[in-house]
Amino acid sequence: MTLMRYAEALNAALREEMQRDPTVFMFGEDIGRYGGVFKVSKGLRDEFGDARVRDTPISEQAMTAMAVTAAMSGTRPILEIMYADFLPLTLDALVNQASVFTYLWEGQVEIPFVLRTQGGGGVGTGAQHAKSLDAMVCHIPGLKVVAPATPADAKGLLKSAIRDSQPVVFLEHKLLYNTRGEVPDGDDVLVPIGKARTVLEGRHVSIFASSKMVIEAENAAKLLAQDGIEAEVIDLRTLRPLDLESIRRSIAKTHHAVVVNEGWTFCGYASELSATIMEYCFDDLDAPVQRVAMPDMAIPYSEPLEMAVLPNAIKIAAAARKAIA
Amino acid sequence: MATPITAGAVAGEYMETLVIVEWRVGVGDAVNKGDVLLTIETAKAAVDVEAPDTGVISAIFASAESEVPAAAVLCLIGKDVTDVSYGDAPAKAAENAASAPQPYPVAPLATEQAPRTPAGGRIIASPAARRAARAAGIDLATVSPTSVSGRIKLRDVASATYQTAPLQAPNLSMGLPPDERGLLKVHRSGPPDGAPIFFLHGFASDSSSWYPLDRQLAKDHPVYRMDLPNHGSSPKRQIKDFTALVKDVRDAFDALDLEGAHVIGHSLGGALALALADTRAPRIASLTLFAPGGLGPKINSDFIDGIAAASRPASLEAWLKVMVSDQRLIDPAFVNAAFAARTQAELRSAQVHMGKTLFADQTQSFNLVSALHRLECPTRIVWGRKDRILDWHDALQAPGHIGLHLLEGVGHVPHLEAPDISRAIIRSLIKSV
Repeated sequence: MTLMRYAEALNAALREEMQRDPTVFMFGEDIGRYGGVFKVSKGLRDEFGDARVRDTPISEQAMTAMAVTAAMSGTRPILEIMYADFLPLTLDALVNQASVFTYLWEGQVEIPFVLRTQGGGGVGTGAQHAKSLDAMVCHIPGLKVVAPATPADAKGLLKSAIRDSQPVVFLEHKLLYNTRGEVPDGDDVLVPIGKARTVLEGRHVSIFASSKMVIEAENAAKLLAQDGIEAEVIDLRTLRPLDLESIRRSIAKTHHAVVVNEGWTFCGYASELSATIMEYCFDDLDAPVQRVAMPDMAIPYSEPLEMAVLPNAIKIAAAARKAIA
Repeated sequence: MATPITAGAVAGEYMETLVIVEWRVGVGDAVNKGDVLLTIETAKAAVDVEAPDTGVISAIFASAESEVPAAAVLCLIGKDVTDVSYGDAPAKAAENAASAPQPYPVAPLATEQAPRTPAGGRIIASPAARRAARAAGIDLATVSPTSVSGRIKLRDVASATYQTAPLQAPNLSMGLPPDERGLLKVHRSGPPDGAPIFFLHGFASDSSSWYPLDRQLAKDHPVYRMDLPNHGSSPKRQIKDFTALVKDVRDAFDALDLEGAHVIGHSLGGALALALADTRAPRIASLTLFAPGGLGPKINSDFIDGIAAASRPASLEAWLKVMVSDQRLIDPAFVNAAFAARTQAELRSAQVHMGKTLFADQTQSFNLVSALHRLECPTRIVWGRKDRILDWHDALQAPGHIGLHLLEGVGHVPHLEAPDISRAIIRSLIKSV
């Protein structure tokens, strides 16, 4: 085990996979010379050269289409989109190309392509640089979507994503890059896509979260413990495909569910989770599933207002109490 | 409305993390505006974070020596300890953001659900409650809801089972228990530092039985409550004999790596505590044994068979009442809570099997009297003179250096029946070490 920051764990995954497989290459805005705005690709251009760590002009639409065709041509491109807020610019390549080509060519092509991006609020970056658009990419069949919360999962899941033969959208969080955690050593330590992780075991209510919301859920569990309520915290890790088995197992035990996502509430990822739980766990539920998500509005620049609207531990704890009441 | 405390400007530049060096306050402390709450270390220096307001610390989210994002909420200052909400803020923020389109009611969590009343005679019950009622053959029309929403929940059905179910022969579909692997479950509460307390519960109980002591002791001590195999949330497995059980407990105890633990055991857990102290003496600071097993052959084996097999609240209630002297302690709420933990048929049959192994021939097959004589750490035995499960006279075999507290009018569960005395005994023992 090595103590690493989340950004360092991602950097290690990129380095190891590029060393392992010469067809892996990266491109994006400011990822080469500058090392990425969050320093995830720091040092990689020096090690692998301009051809494999490419700086591109600002055109997310062109970059994504390029990545899809490069993947079809036998390479494994990793594209960095600087902010998740720019994902709408990539959508044509995702919706009409990456996700359907394998189907259209009857399995003759694979699209082993990773789109890395980061979202989330909490540092006053306002309405155009703080969104969580998880639901937008999760809506597209044919894509896998992962959103790790810890450095160990960041590394293990990014390696799995790079080795996957399907397109994977890899969602990071700007407030997680500097968090630290133990990361298992070894070039072939992978975290499987599609498997959730039980962060805390509890008997009374299950809280399902991903990315930074896992930390908020853990804090909510501490608040609930003050009242003797034992919350079970499940880190989904992969948003699509969903680990339904872990969800079922937990709800069969606690009978109460709180679903958390930093994105918008209406038609959001939390809503999808809630609907899935209603369908598959109905007879185990002792109360309606509670959603904790971002209100349907623009993220304010003002720090106190931003703090007020983002989902947090207090709102999660309140939702859990309401479920149990 | 609680105020969230972040490091704010003192944390330094954008995107840095900070390390919590030391908390100067704890949950429940009253603070004045300007008081130092904690010291943090940033990339540049160690600095103090001051209270922006007067109030009470209602929650702390990050422990000392941990590293957190610079923008993280470190603690909350509220009007009192229960004030942990700043819940009306989202709605206000939404009002202010008048230009933002709102196709959906903002912050649905902030609005309380109106109590429901059955419309047109339809009964409102949760899916889980409906399923449980169907299984138990209970008419939901006879069940009254206790939830805020007015909906019948699982707990209400359990309570109805208790009130209406006729006494039936326990369902003993006895197979051998499965062989689940893994360490025993240990529940942790209390502060990170301080002399640790390690609890071992009795047969057919679980770690939640320490509730009367745990709430108070966890204010000053890190508390570890273990679930024995086939109990609570620990793995289910076939226990070969008492020695195998001791090994399971010892493995889980070793994994915690506790120093100077104050070990407290009840009944079978008392016997296990003694066995643990016999081989882990250097790590154990004191021992408190509530009605410990293993000090004589006699045991109420009807009780062992009956409580392990009880598949209905009414039969469980009958045996719970044998455990205590004052029958009023075993009220419907207590029975329901105890039964809720034992609804799993697999758990009950695993316990029946375990009881038959440990107490074969209606005898306590393990004897720890010599271990009691070898004890070097300060030890107290607490026993009720009205115990109907084990014979309190067994305590008289203890050597002179062990303190005996033989309580009048108390049965087999002193920590439930006389929690204040029990706590005082533990506290004075810990203080004396």
